Amino acid sequence: MSDEYIGIGASFFLAGVIAVSMVILASTLGKKKPSRVKSEPFECGNSPFSLPGGKLAIKFYLTAILFVLFDVELVFLYPWAVVYRQLGMLGLAEMGVFLGVLMVGYFYAWDNGALKWK
Amino acid sequence: MNGINLNALRLLLPELILVGTALVLLVGARRLRSAALVAAITVVTAAAAGVTAVSVLGMERNLGYGSMFTVDGYSQFFKVLVTGALALTTLLSVRFVVDAKIRIAEYHALLLLACTGMMVASSAVDLLTLYLGLELTTLCSYILVGITVDRSEANEASIKYFLLGSFASALFLYGIALTYGVTQTTDYEGIRTAAQAVRVLDSPGQPILLAAVGLLVAGLAFKVAAFPFHAWAPDAYQGAGAPVAAFLAAASKAAGLAALGRVCLVALDAEDHVVAGVLATVAGLSILTGSILAVSQTNMKRLLAYSSIAHAGYALLGFVAATSARATGAAVTQAMSTGGEAINGLARNASALEMSAMEVLASDGAAASMTYALLYVFMTLGTFGVLIGLGNRGEQLDDFQGLAAQRPGVAALLLLFLLSLAGIPPTAGFTAKFVVLLSVVRSGHWWLAVLAVLCSVITAFVYLRVAVVMYMKQSEQDAPPRFSWAVSSALAVAALVTMIGGIFPAMALMDGIFPNFLPVWAASPGN
Repeated sequence: MSDEYIGIGASFFLAGVIAVSMVILASTLGKKKPSRVKSEPFECGNSPFSLPGGKLAIKFYLTAILFVLFDVELVFLYPWAVVYRQLGMLGLAEMGVFLGVLMVGYFYAWDNGALKWK
Repeated sequence: MNGINLNALRLLLPELILVGTALVLLVGARRLRSAALVAAITVVTAAAAGVTAVSVLGMERNLGYGSMFTVDGYSQFFKVLVTGALALTTLLSVRFVVDAKIRIAEYHALLLLACTGMMVASSAVDLLTLYLGLELTTLCSYILVGITVDRSEANEASIKYFLLGSFASALFLYGIALTYGVTQTTDYEGIRTAAQAVRVLDSPGQPILLAAVGLLVAGLAFKVAAFPFHAWAPDAYQGAGAPVAAFLAAASKAAGLAALGRVCLVALDAEDHVVAGVLATVAGLSILTGSILAVSQTNMKRLLAYSSIAHAGYALLGFVAATSARATGAAVTQAMSTGGEAINGLARNASALEMSAMEVLASDGAAASMTYALLYVFMTLGTFGVLIGLGNRGEQLDDFQGLAAQRPGVAALLLLFLLSLAGIPPTAGFTAKFVVLLSVVRSGHWWLAVLAVLCSVITAFVYLRVAVVMYMKQSEQDAPPRFSWAVSSALAVAALVTMIGGIFPAMALMDGIFPNFLPVWAASPGN
């Protein structure tokens, strides 16, 4: 029983060793020329600290909402696909209704210009 | 499970009607530009849902969806009430949606979906179904409160409501989790049975169950805006558009009461002595704080918000009576079963009599709360309706100066609703207060009845002050505009119910409307 977990444990251990040794090797062997920019937290080019007050484009928010729409749909589709054979035609019809309601939401977003990137 | 179960779909018919119309409105959102048309569609849908809620199933109890959803007299009553409130709110908001430049179809779709959630909540016999229904309602309510996006006070109100509301939902969910931890079920009947076992065995689950009772009641008390979970109501009502405030004060509160009643009387039945104590405290303090804080208000919506907090307390009095009667009944049963040989025939008879008296008392208590909900919904919608009709003249207390001279009819109508809210005969408010006070006195909570009566005197001052301003002061403003046909018709319905409820109280009492109303806690025929 516990034998099955040895492999997982070993890969966790190896992953940990590699990650830790990389950090240690980099900090001991690497050259160090600290500068102001380098010692800031890495944040994909964004300034890590700023006061709120800037404008945020609402279209990102809309995209996120649309993503949730399909995300939830997929979460539901997976278990449905697993038991599809047992559910039969009724299952198909029920999923059709579910997707139909979701598509109404999608159509609403589309119809009202949520997909226009302007 | 398998095979299409038409009976199960039949149970959901009123909800499906509302959802169907909401979807149609969303699809046609960009094309439906006529406020009158959309309002007409919504009112017809509300009427259809109300009629199907009562007529399709008759009065017998129906369970469906793995006993998560029921249709019985209790839920049918609240469904009709919610659809009635929906229809009146729609009529009241015809002018509002145009003036505030709200997207018409979306506004009505949100109202419809909120009502769907309320209906689900009143039919739920499983904590998860209840949570689903309540969340649907509150999510729509958050948006409705902030739907006038260009008004900053509406945004503020919406954010406040959202933050406090999600906190209350979290408390409620935590209560569900604890209940599940102790009883291993979320089904009301299952919780009742398991909790009785926990009580009898005096197992370590008992304190956890009590914490769960507290959390569940707290989550639901937020929905009815009862003390100490009332703080959101004045801000939300003031910031929201008047029709939305009316909807929250009427329909939302009725649905919260429906949920609270069923949870307390069925799921938490085994802990009824605790529930009765908690409800009595919440009701008493709601009445007290609502009445006292209403005195100093000068904004009409805030005034009505505090008055609605007090009214939530009054409406809870019936459930206080019902739960404490159930607790006494359970104590008698236990005495009978444990007394065994010691109780002779005569005492056993007396105990049986007392038990059936307690059943009647509990049933009367629940019916009293339902009667209160019914009459309160209409008088509140009526009061808000007058404010909506008055437009800018209905915002502040001072705006009512000299209204009686300018619009005697409107002033008289508002006076009727105010007298009703104050509970002065011969209006519906008197009938409502009378039945809840009667039930609470019968159940032995004298102090609560005395407190309620004393606070009615305070609130009478609050409401009559508005009347004094209307009738005894000179106006410095122009006469308000004439009421539109939609507002007038909604007000006519509200005024009719308010008068009938006062003059022919028997028609407004639960027994009059639902002669074969079953007690909520009676076990379903299948069990």
